[in-house]
Amino acid sequence: MLDNDDTERAIQWRGVRSVWSALAMLAAIVVTIVWAATGGAFWPVWVWLGLAVPFMFRAALRSARSAPRRWRALAVQSALSGVVAVILIVVWALTGAGFWLFWPLFGLGVALAFHGLIVGMWSQLRPGPREQALEQRVDVLTRTRRGALDVQAAELRRIERDLHDGAQARLVALSMQIGRAEDRLEDRPELAELLRSARAEASAAIGELRDLARGIAPPVLADRGLVAAVDALGKRSALEVTVEAQVARRLPPVIESAAYFVVAESLTNAAKHARGARARVRLADRGGRLVIVVSDDGPGGAVPTGGGLTGLRRRVEALDGSLEVRSPAGAGTTIRAELPCE
Amino acid sequence: MRVVIAEDQALLREGITALLREQDIDVVAQAEDGPGLLRIVAGHKPDLAIVDVRLPPTFTDEGVRAALEARARMPGLGVLILSQYVEPVYTAELLESGEGGIGYLLKERVGDVRAFVGAVQRVAAGGTALDREVVAELVRSRDPGGEDGALSALTPREREVLGLMAEGRTNTAIARALVVTPGAVAKHISNIFAKLDLPATDEDHRRVLAVLAFLRAG
Repeated sequence: MLDNDDTERAIQWRGVRSVWSALAMLAAIVVTIVWAATGGAFWPVWVWLGLAVPFMFRAALRSARSAPRRWRALAVQSALSGVVAVILIVVWALTGAGFWLFWPLFGLGVALAFHGLIVGMWSQLRPGPREQALEQRVDVLTRTRRGALDVQAAELRRIERDLHDGAQARLVALSMQIGRAEDRLEDRPELAELLRSARAEASAAIGELRDLARGIAPPVLADRGLVAAVDALGKRSALEVTVEAQVARRLPPVIESAAYFVVAESLTNAAKHARGARARVRLADRGGRLVIVVSDDGPGGAVPTGGGLTGLRRRVEALDGSLEVRSPAGAGTTIRAELPCE
Repeated sequence: MRVVIAEDQALLREGITALLREQDIDVVAQAEDGPGLLRIVAGHKPDLAIVDVRLPPTFTDEGVRAALEARARMPGLGVLILSQYVEPVYTAELLESGEGGIGYLLKERVGDVRAFVGAVQRVAAGGTALDREVVAELVRSRDPGGEDGALSALTPREREVLGLMAEGRTNTAIARALVVTPGAVAKHISNIFAKLDLPATDEDHRRVLAVLAFLRAG
């Protein structure tokens, strides 16, 4: 119902406005015709100005109303000042351009600047409740998301440790016992064969657990940190890779993993698409931000939205980092990622 | 032969000890961590140390570090690393660590008693025992595309022989594994050495080292 009322009122207002516009247009034409018929100085311009004033005010106020609440008063003042200034300038131009125009414009400008300064200082001192709430919310979200990721990384490493100490160790012991039994059954080849296949099953299970653990974090990364792991990646790559690292400390596990996978994926891509190219990996710990740059001198033209790169970008962005791919055709590929690491 | 073991998991430590004793190999001492390994190596002067990569307190690469340290203090000590994963960085460090036998095996290989005991004896005698996964990794990094490089000149059979040689096996063992005569193996080996332009030698261990040096030069 309310909506309907509102709509009706809006329609009525629009009607009033269009009637007013039509009358104003008509008046302007009439005075112009009268002027044309009678001759003399071009006085209809005054009538036009008079008729245009309400339109200017309305347009100015409408645009000012859409400003955010705390800036609305300032917006209204500047809109009105603007309209007054336009009127003054027109009057000034029509009356023979004296120096007087400077003073009213100066006054309007000073008043506006003063108001702006006060509002600005006030908002610096006391952000509005909405801003405060938003700020707090962003803080909480950043902290909890980071916390969740840290917990997840720690949890994954714990699972990996448990797999190693628990299931894997037992399977190794199992396969060892089977092996010993097998060794004593030399004179019963059919039984020995059964045990041999049981041992093969145990080995396969151990292998699967190993692959699982390696997917969580490659051992050298967990053991020796990012620089050693990236060095190892460079040595194993099919490309000639130089690694320059300025990282003198162990970073949080979640950052190390993300950085490692950025380098690993970038080098894999380079080896696939830039065969025979040379690649360069740079790692720098710059006051709270880890910068990772992987570049190659291959053919370029990588698609930044490709599956692997999108996955990397998500991983990096989840940590409030950024990832940028530059790959102009014929000029190599550079992947640059930044990760926050306080 | 005198052997010491550094392994934090009692189940495996006791298991390996029992297994080796059944094969008349004397396990003279056991340790649970890196410092313990250094102590028993100093105290018992063994021929071989069998060491788990991960040991307390850090559970990272403590075992490799302790083994390298033990070897530095007692040159010629054979080191057989048992690991739950293949890490080329650690293998490379061991291979570079100087005199004495070297082994790097995945833990589950202890289940194959014959092969494991063979590896233990080989490393204690100054030879090499590398897991086939380690060798596969070396071949991969030498020849990533599978097409380029000197290795592509080898026939599939020769590549097989090269792999077994890199694991540290003797001619006789290779012949047994491939079910061919030792003469055939010798012929494959001389072909491989000619194709890879490696210095020919009759001695098993030197040949292994030449092959490893070739693979690692990639």
